[in-house]
Amino acid sequence: MEIGLLSFIIFLPLVVSFVLLLLPVGMKVTRNIAFATTLVVFLFSLKIFFEFQLTDYMQFREFHPWITSYGIYYSLGVDGFSMIILMLITTLIPLGYLFLWKTKKSKGYWASMLLIQTGVTGALLSLDLILFYFFWESMLLPVFMIIGIYGTGNRIFSTLKITIYTIMGSLFMLVSILYLGVHFYQEFGVWSFQLSDLVQITTLSNTQRTFLFFGFMIAFAIKIPIFPFHTWLMQTYSNAPTGGVFILSSIMAKLGIYGIVRFVLPLFPHQYVEFAPYFVGIGVFGLIYFGIAALMQQNIKRMFAYSSASHLAFITAGIFSLNAYGMTGAAFLIVAHAMATGGLFLLVGTIEHDLGIRSISGLGGIAKKAPYLTVAFAMMLLCIVGLPGTNGFVSELLIVMGLFQYSHVVGIISATTVLVAASFMFWMFQRAILVDTGNDISGMKDLDIKEIVGIFSLAAIIVAMGVYPHWFLYKIEPTIQHYLIDILKVGVAS
Amino acid sequence: MIEVSFMSYILLAIILFSIGIVGVISRKNIFIIYMSLELMLNSINLILVSLSRYFGSMDGQIIAMMVMAIAAAEAVVFLSLIVSLYRLKHSINIDDYNSLKQKGIL
Amino acid sequence: MSSNFLSWIVLIPLFSSILLGAMYLYSISVKKIADRYFTFFALLAPMASFFIGFLFFLGLLNGNGEYIYEPYTWLGVNGYIISMGFLGDKLSIFMVLFVTFIGSMIHIYASGYMKGDDGYGKFFSYFNLFMASMLLLVLANSPIIMFIGWEGVGLCSYLLIGFYFTEPLNVVAGNKAFIANRVGDLGFLVGIVYLFFYVGKLGFDYGALEDYVSIVPNHILVIIGISLFIGAMGKSAQIPLYVWLPDAMAGPTPVSALIHAATMVTAGVYMVARFHFLYDLIPHVGVFIAYIGAFSSLFAAIIAMKQTDIKKILAYSTISQLGYMFIAVGLGAYSTGLFHVFTHAFFKALLFMGAGAVIIALHHEQNIFKMGGLRKKIPLIYSVMLVGTLAISGIPPFSGFFSKDEVLLKAYNHNEYLIYGIGLFTAGLTAYYMFRLFFVTFEGKNYKERKMQNISWSMKAPLVILAIGAAFAGFVGFPKIFGGANLIDSWLEAWSGAPTHIEFSADIMLMSVSVLAGLIGISVAYFKFFKYDFNQDIKESGLVYNKFYIDEIIDFLIVRRMRDLSTFVAVVIDDGFIDKTVMSLSNGFINLGRRVGRMQSANTRAYAFFMLVGLSSFSIYLILKLGK
Repeated sequence: MEIGLLSFIIFLPLVVSFVLLLLPVGMKVTRNIAFATTLVVFLFSLKIFFEFQLTDYMQFREFHPWITSYGIYYSLGVDGFSMIILMLITTLIPLGYLFLWKTKKSKGYWASMLLIQTGVTGALLSLDLILFYFFWESMLLPVFMIIGIYGTGNRIFSTLKITIYTIMGSLFMLVSILYLGVHFYQEFGVWSFQLSDLVQITTLSNTQRTFLFFGFMIAFAIKIPIFPFHTWLMQTYSNAPTGGVFILSSIMAKLGIYGIVRFVLPLFPHQYVEFAPYFVGIGVFGLIYFGIAALMQQNIKRMFAYSSASHLAFITAGIFSLNAYGMTGAAFLIVAHAMATGGLFLLVGTIEHDLGIRSISGLGGIAKKAPYLTVAFAMMLLCIVGLPGTNGFVSELLIVMGLFQYSHVVGIISATTVLVAASFMFWMFQRAILVDTGNDISGMKDLDIKEIVGIFSLAAIIVAMGVYPHWFLYKIEPTIQHYLIDILKVGVAS
Repeated sequence: MIEVSFMSYILLAIILFSIGIVGVISRKNIFIIYMSLELMLNSINLILVSLSRYFGSMDGQIIAMMVMAIAAAEAVVFLSLIVSLYRLKHSINIDDYNSLKQKGIL
Repeated sequence: MSSNFLSWIVLIPLFSSILLGAMYLYSISVKKIADRYFTFFALLAPMASFFIGFLFFLGLLNGNGEYIYEPYTWLGVNGYIISMGFLGDKLSIFMVLFVTFIGSMIHIYASGYMKGDDGYGKFFSYFNLFMASMLLLVLANSPIIMFIGWEGVGLCSYLLIGFYFTEPLNVVAGNKAFIANRVGDLGFLVGIVYLFFYVGKLGFDYGALEDYVSIVPNHILVIIGISLFIGAMGKSAQIPLYVWLPDAMAGPTPVSALIHAATMVTAGVYMVARFHFLYDLIPHVGVFIAYIGAFSSLFAAIIAMKQTDIKKILAYSTISQLGYMFIAVGLGAYSTGLFHVFTHAFFKALLFMGAGAVIIALHHEQNIFKMGGLRKKIPLIYSVMLVGTLAISGIPPFSGFFSKDEVLLKAYNHNEYLIYGIGLFTAGLTAYYMFRLFFVTFEGKNYKERKMQNISWSMKAPLVILAIGAAFAGFVGFPKIFGGANLIDSWLEAWSGAPTHIEFSADIMLMSVSVLAGLIGISVAYFKFFKYDFNQDIKESGLVYNKFYIDEIIDFLIVRRMRDLSTFVAVVIDDGFIDKTVMSLSNGFINLGRRVGRMQSANTRAYAFFMLVGLSSFSIYLILKLGK
């Protein structure tokens, strides 16, 4: 059987991971091979990026029978929206590996990291709902192990909390998926869980659709997380090891957003529009709420957790703004935020590596000791704050514009995003990095050459996307227009 | 003279069975429980026999005979179990036989 | 001159900044690089930009209308396109010229001022980044691209205020500046978004905006005008967002001269002038702006009267002078406002750099009451400071006189007598506090003798050049009424607003009154401070000295309340309520499990009982169900 490009990208890390686990090799070999694997995956994803056609169709389709008696197919494909997230994943992970290089973990850590990559790319690319569910849950398993085995603090509790919480949410989604499948069978007489088939269901009543809509939404809302399902986030982020929190914050949270756009929007366009005001409201509320909560956090990772939640709420508001500005901005902020937050968590990871876990008041004076780290930290921070010239600004501008078109008042309130992150981020930067507080930081070392390469490549991408956003955005424009015009408008009209 | 009808046998069987159940549930002495169990068994036998008579078929009587035979065999096993249990626990109180009880959950 | 060179005006300082930054990082981590290499690249950039700007100036002189260069589409969503565009018209080239000229001077000065500092390379990296951002702000052909520069200068301001970042106070001042600016930027952003949705879809460059702005309903225009002006309030330090500027003096003095006096803070004025087509349609908002300007100028002047830190006095005087500029642009006389921007850049940069020289000479002493008698020690600084002080006090024929007088004239001519009165009064106050500073610093008696540090030629040369500028720059805008040409007005003809109609005699009278106000201020200062006795104690208290406790009020009302709210949200709502709810749900399941588990009591008789109950209920069900 011929192996497609997408399958290759998904399963290469899995295969490598199993082979490495079975072979009697040490941690270093595992790490190096894992890094090489992610690089190979990155190169193949570049091929997708450059061969990507400017249309709204699913491209690079793969379609094989899997469990044919129930119409479950192994079905993959990529469109503009998933392409940009795929690029994000494949670029970010090798850069992150450069930072995790010096972590003294066993080889299971690296094998788990590879497994996560399979899970997230698989969930990203699958077009069959059962296949999606399979990958969606499978990415939790390595996360469970990474936090539980390699975490710090109350790690067992944290890993149980995230796992059970998200699985509980996913169960609602599973029920909804099965319900849709059964309903499709009743209507058409054949089994299918293909997204493109399930959207054709016409006989569902509005009440049924609403229930199913929330079944899906609760799974994604917990994963993102949307207020008030966010409390696992803070505990998990502060106890997870650097690699885990890096993946969680920069990639897995974004898949929740992706899931809403990929599945909820085409399946329930009417409900999507009907409940959009609530989600916009929750999003904008969350933006400010989490921003305020972040202000007084003492643990840096906890503060970033709140900051992430704030931005993710903003992205959620963006995708429910029902227009091209908000949607494009959300797609762009997914990338911008993943890079900046991922970078920040990696940098905090190196600080923790050198100094141990400390509260913000226990740090200070790092700038003098580690100028490269400080410059990188500042650049990531400026992206989070949304400074023009970084991709953070472009995305925030677009989302504000989208929300403004949705409603002037909401748009103006959401413009406070320029203040929210700035207020706590700069204060934290002052206390933790810049000002000499007299704390003992003699163990602090500056970034080594690998880390410099990793973080400054990230910074270069951030700036490039901020200076010339159109070059990155025009590829997803047809997809977004397709969502808005072909799916949303048609769906609402019917 | 009281007329002995078919229902009387059934009623007697039910009474015997109920006495057996109450004995099993409420008594702690394992011998009494055993006796109650036998009582229940015999009440079933009574039903089998009377139904057999009522329907004019021998099946019920055959089953009752088999039950009695098995009950005899069972009594051997049961009594030997009680003896070994007594050796283990030095008690014939059934509440002391709780080795499978979980001590604290989670 | 091909218009794509416009981008190089911005790119040269940008590349210089990146190069210097990389060199600096290399220098501190690998191998030391000598300062002179930094100096070379640092000074090259603004001068090259000035040179290119000058070529464009010549092109415009030769009758070219405007240069537009749009290298690429910056953003295109929904079919609407925002281009990365540069616009070189008379206004922006005017700004480019004076920004790069003053910038070059201050770069030279800074190369002396910062000599031997550990962060020499970093300083110039930030400085050139600032130049790039400022020039992008000026040359942008679209409000959004302008916003990039707008925030860029804010960032550089933050970086340079907190230049010596190990000191908490500096970083706090930097944060304050950034946040206050961000409050303004919030307004600016809202203005941009409004503008985009009401007219920008037809094209989001200034040309198109100017053509189509009339289709915007009037009340929306008012919202846009005020929102954009909130941005200007932040950047140009007007009431109520002025609080950051005095604290921003924590940065090295060249920073104060370049960013917090001459260039960045005038961005707000430039922005209003750039949007003149919009503000022309809403004159009442303009009057509001003028009033804000007037009150800011008065308020800052009052505070300046009691300050003792030489840089703080100059900072408040900057706020005050910016107020004058907003009076002019608010009343539609954009060219007059820009004229004041122009002259102010000269004399305020001069004053700051002179103050910096004094500070350096006295080994970083900033309190004027610990100076005194410096006239004989540093005569050159003394004379240039005198020129600057006379210029800001509005004494003819120094530059400040012409521009300030024209601002007051416009106010008078618009029948805004209250603004005129405030402006006139403030002019007197300005003369008073500036000469207070001057006399206390350079004259006085019984001052402490002290050892002076040498001031290098690289600091002196720009001072002299700027002093010449401060003295004579005013003649560029020599009033027509005296037979002058007023080159500013004719150059910025499109921005000069309604022509003034005023009698020659009335004009002479107004001028005399304002000169008189200045002279009164000077004389009061002379009697109080010329022979100031340094033996007496300085009174450092009182409402005015403490800046009306505005900082404390803000701290109490906003900052502390926000922190309380944050704690409340994070601890009480998040941990105490939401997480508790989630955890009680999961604990509920655990407890349920415990309860059910308790049935597994190892009590055989209980099992038997359960069996009895279960079987009987099942039988009863069957009997009832099947018995029918």
